[in-house]
Amino acid sequence: MKADSGFRRFLFSLRSYTAFFLLMSFVITCCMLLFLNMLAGSMEITYTERGVRLAAVVTFVNVIFLSLLCTVIDGVRRKFMVERPVRRIVEGASRLMQGDFSARIEPFHGIDDRAGFDTIIDYFNRMAEELSGVETLRTDFIANVSHELKTPLAVIQNYGTMLQSPVLTETQRMEYAKAITEQSRRLADLITNILKLNRLENQQLYPAAKRYNLGEQLAECLLNFESTWEKKNIDIETNIEEDVFVESDNELLSLVWNNLFSNAFKFTEPGGTVSAELKTEGDYAAVRVTDTGCGISPETGRHIFEKFYQGDTSHVTQGNGLGLALVKRVADIVGGDISVESEVGKGSAFTVKIRRAANGDTQEDS
Amino acid sequence: MFQILVVEDDKDLNRSVCSFLNRNGYEAAGCLDANEAYDAMYENSFDLIVSDIMMPGIDGYEFAKTVRSLNENIPILFMTARDDFASKQRGYRIGIDDYMVKPIDLDELFLRIGALLRRAKIAASHKLEIGRLRLDIDERTAVYDGGEISLTTREFNILYKLLSYPGKTFTRTQLMDEFWDAETNTAPRAVDVYMTKLRGKFENCGEFEIRTVHGLGYKAVIL
Repeated sequence: MKADSGFRRFLFSLRSYTAFFLLMSFVITCCMLLFLNMLAGSMEITYTERGVRLAAVVTFVNVIFLSLLCTVIDGVRRKFMVERPVRRIVEGASRLMQGDFSARIEPFHGIDDRAGFDTIIDYFNRMAEELSGVETLRTDFIANVSHELKTPLAVIQNYGTMLQSPVLTETQRMEYAKAITEQSRRLADLITNILKLNRLENQQLYPAAKRYNLGEQLAECLLNFESTWEKKNIDIETNIEEDVFVESDNELLSLVWNNLFSNAFKFTEPGGTVSAELKTEGDYAAVRVTDTGCGISPETGRHIFEKFYQGDTSHVTQGNGLGLALVKRVADIVGGDISVESEVGKGSAFTVKIRRAANGDTQEDS
Repeated sequence: MFQILVVEDDKDLNRSVCSFLNRNGYEAAGCLDANEAYDAMYENSFDLIVSDIMMPGIDGYEFAKTVRSLNENIPILFMTARDDFASKQRGYRIGIDDYMVKPIDLDELFLRIGALLRRAKIAASHKLEIGRLRLDIDERTAVYDGGEISLTTREFNILYKLLSYPGKTFTRTQLMDEFWDAETNTAPRAVDVYMTKLRGKFENCGEFEIRTVHGLGYKAVIL
């Protein structure tokens, strides 16, 4: 039934027939008027009433026939050139809609008439590709979250049980209690990060742009780690250009600096160096945080901004693999750019570039 | 002995904080909600309040506001799960003195309470004493070992700030913002000049030392 009505609708439709009829009538009338006028002017032909009447009928029938022919040809053309690709796209889209992220549409590669459809199909396929990527990421994310949450919990539970044993030396008791504290701290950090990331990803965020002194913010953020570098005996180098202003959300950006510094201090061994640098590069302010830690292999570097990606899969160094995902997310929100350079065993350098605000005090901006 | 009021609706957390404080030389009393806390304050005088924000009935903001209207000086420390800037801002506007995000580190809580109490004492007595050094806020004088050390107002203010927060580093800009007029166009390096002067004047004072922190700022360290 569908095919039947489809056939009728596409090979002969009254609407397109009427349209073609009017078009033909108009075109032929115009042509004839032009032709006859010129003919009459140059050759002095006179029309007899009978001859004109007959010519009118013949022409009218001709118009009707041509319109019909055009309608059918157009119907056939549409059938093959429009209806088929549309159907194929609709099928693909509905598969995707039902959650089949492997749905792809085969392109036509036909004559250029179909190039438009091929573009649509190409975009559709790319969209499907992206979606399936997101889907994998989400499944991985849940698996990772549960793993990361359950591990410290299991440790806490075990040590809690062990602590209940009446025969424990004082050292053992201290050791277990310390392990519990450490693991709960790790769990707390993780949950804080998950919540922050979640807030950043799910909220429609309009960063509150405010003009402020970036160097000052960097110095203040770095100073939050004073006790850490004193405890670990890490050397600090600073090279912060004065009076560099940016117009951005300072709370969001402080998240970036805190995470970068926290990583730098985490991965730098005692006796190492962490340096913070702020320079202006044209219209941009470039912040560079360098450490002399374990470094990152190029392979790891490619994935480092993904959630729960940890270069060190054995989890020897504390961390939860969310910090840099947060940093990346914030950089995206504020329109910044983040990159990493690293060499295994030598250390890493993270560079964040943000467009800087016009400097109010000094007008010597080039 | 300092008396501390802990207002927190989670029983276990409340108990653990109280027993930690009790074991570390304070006398802590726990209350599970604001009304209970009002009753406790009616019967006892406290030196410091540690309060949660999200509590059934009267919340922490409401509670802090009421306490602040009755007592301008008592230090209030918020201990809460809310880590967004808006919540912190709201708290500080009400007049709280410190803010810690749960889960809190008990050792850090201990340090912060110590610092809050010390500053409260300085604020109440208008005097700051470190060993043989004595700073009088009303007269803006510094007396060391019986002899007065002459200081300009700005020198005194900077020194007083640093010594009120020993161990905390202040950036040049932070000090500039506080002790220089907004309109003066002095470079932050001017702070360096003052630090040099202060160091010179207190050369013989063995009680404290002004340290430069990696080009970031300055801090006073009590020796």
